Amino acid sequence: MTQVPGPHLSPDDVENWLDGLLDAERTRHLDLCPSCFDRVQLEREIVEQLAGLPAMAPTADFADRVMASVTIADPFALRSLRQRIFASRRSMAIAASLALALVGSMAASVAWTLANQDILLSVGNWVLAQGTQAGWLALRGLASNFIEQPWYESARTLAASPGRMSVAVGVALLAYLSGVFALRRLLALPTQQVAHAG
Amino acid sequence: MAEEPEWSRLTDQEVVLLARSGREAAYRELVRRYERPVFALLYRMVRDRELAEDLAQETFVKALNAIDSYRPEFKFSSWIFKIANNAAIDHLRRRELDTLSLDGSPHAETPEAMQATALQIGARQESPLDAVEARELGGAIEAAIGRLRPEYRSCILLRHVEGRAYEEIAEILDLPLGTVKTYIHRARNELRLALAHLKE
Repeated sequence: MTQVPGPHLSPDDVENWLDGLLDAERTRHLDLCPSCFDRVQLEREIVEQLAGLPAMAPTADFADRVMASVTIADPFALRSLRQRIFASRRSMAIAASLALALVGSMAASVAWTLANQDILLSVGNWVLAQGTQAGWLALRGLASNFIEQPWYESARTLAASPGRMSVAVGVALLAYLSGVFALRRLLALPTQQVAHAG
Repeated sequence: MAEEPEWSRLTDQEVVLLARSGREAAYRELVRRYERPVFALLYRMVRDRELAEDLAQETFVKALNAIDSYRPEFKFSSWIFKIANNAAIDHLRRRELDTLSLDGSPHAETPEAMQATALQIGARQESPLDAVEARELGGAIEAAIGRLRPEYRSCILLRHVEGRAYEEIAEILDLPLGTVKTYIHRARNELRLALAHLKE
């Protein structure tokens, strides 16, 4: 009589056998042990019956009923940002750290300002003087550049005639408004509640 | 008007990203992908078609309205099955509380009324309605699944009907992997015993 090797199959062995992953030694036991063989056959029958259960579907208008109660996400909405912040502990911790850093730096900035008003005043005066000088220089440069442009004389002639000037302004205004309208259409995103299709 | 993508080529995660960007068609695609398995799981958990459909609707509405909180590092299927399973377990627990009171209904004022309502415990085991449902569900195995503990039922349905991996089931049910394997093994044993009389 052939000796059956090793102990009977454990529950894990049965799972492995059902998944086709039972190792060679345990498979040899299974081949020689009628009790384990019967057991796995019964297990397989159950698994086959479960896998063969009929597919099921909800009623045909199920998706419409779901969509009637769903609000489509607006990626630019404040609500969306709030949901992202409160989505997990990690996101809340990051948001709290950023808020703390912001408030801390603001408080430090106010404190430093109050303690060093004279320094700030002298720096402010220097920046103002330098800024004014740079501004004048830029303005003069801009004006001389403008005058040197080849179309400058034509523009002057146009400005001398009010009729032509109003036509040019009208065309420019129309082009601007068309651009704004086109951009608004392009950037429009669906934010409204989905209509009930049913 | 944005062009419709070829949905079948997109992963769940990609569809979710489109949904988050405000595409209604992406929401519908997620419903289309999961309405059948989610409904089937719920139906076999609660054994009532109308109730299963209500719970499935509740599951999808909850998931899709919270699509921003879905974390793409997890499978979308795990997420939706988790919400569905929680809805089913919550319902079954509520039903247990409604019917399984050793002292009878809390509203009963006389000992007779308490005894009458307490009888519901015995009645729940195999009522005529259960028998009709068993026939509707198409056989002994469906009825045997219905008699399993809810935890075993979830495990066995997700593993052998929906074909989910042990690791995913552990994630869905928030259980250790070993516990999932034990539950599946015990559930199969109980089904085997429940169906043994058919073989004799």
